[in-house]
Amino acid sequence: MAKFILRKAEPKDVSDILRLIKELAKFEEMEEQVVLTEKELLEDGFGDHPFYHCVVAEVPKDNQSIEGYTVVGFAMYYFTYDPWIGKLLYLEDFYVMKEFRGYGMGSEILKMLSETAVKTRCSGMHFIVAEWNTTSIEFYKRRGASDLSHEEGWRLYEIDKCNLLKMSSK
Amino acid sequence: MRFTISAAKPEDCKDIERMIMELAVYENMPDQVKISHKELERDGFGPNPFYHCLVAEVPEEHKSKDGNTTVGYVIFFYTYSTWKGRTVYMEDLYVMPEFRGNGIGKALLGAVAKEAKDQLCSRLQFSVLDWNKPSLDFYMAKGAEDLTAKEGWHFLRFHGMALDNLAQEAP
Repeated sequence: MAKFILRKAEPKDVSDILRLIKELAKFEEMEEQVVLTEKELLEDGFGDHPFYHCVVAEVPKDNQSIEGYTVVGFAMYYFTYDPWIGKLLYLEDFYVMKEFRGYGMGSEILKMLSETAVKTRCSGMHFIVAEWNTTSIEFYKRRGASDLSHEEGWRLYEIDKCNLLKMSSK
Repeated sequence: MRFTISAAKPEDCKDIERMIMELAVYENMPDQVKISHKELERDGFGPNPFYHCLVAEVPEEHKSKDGNTTVGYVIFFYTYSTWKGRTVYMEDLYVMPEFRGNGIGKALLGAVAKEAKDQLCSRLQFSVLDWNKPSLDFYMAKGAEDLTAKEGWHFLRFHGMALDNLAQEAP
């Protein structure tokens, strides 16, 4: 099995996208943190000002997954801004179903995204990876990625909704 | 000290460029600043801006030693979490050293928090250098959590030659 296509996600893909998001979250041992719904994915990705862009990997019907799925991988990205170097492509999620790995889908998705980044004048492609996820880190480092947390000391911080509301009312 | 917080205008870009460089010097990385006010103007204003910016201004009688009245800024944009949906990412927050201690930083952060709330964002994310204790203290006091420590997240990137090489292999 090697045939697959990569294409822009369409509104009809949201239920497959959510399924794959949950599978990836399960792998990252954070499945209970996914509160996003199909309705939000639809509104936020396919309106006048989308918050994200998405590509999906699809196999022919005769190669469908054990449970009967033909959408077997996805990548979600959006554009961010670095005041030092300008526009960036930020890779939010990137996942291929386990039974479809080893056929080059991951590599093809990454290459397609990097081409999008170059075409749209982005200075770089950024993303985060959990430090225990050595398989993914190796995958990226083999292709020339650098670890800014390790090299420059950047740490990711978050202020949650409750504290945001406190700050916005002062 | 009186000050105002307002949305940046294209003509503010020279001041924003000046303060971006001041922040980069503080972070010991001034040689990494490659863009100027021209790119900031092109990319931040128009129907599809790549970032949003608020500036803090003081009246003429409180201008800085060098004669500036624009004394702080915050740059942020909207991102998306596949777990939680809409998120605000705060890229830069800076107040000139001579104007600190007057609540300007707090006001800029509060203004971003309000935008986040209005846009139905569930959280605010940002990054801080591990040695930057004054900033870490400021954010921790407002309830920030270190996700690198808690969940092990590292920032990775493809840039320059590595990005070009990856793109050239595209089908």
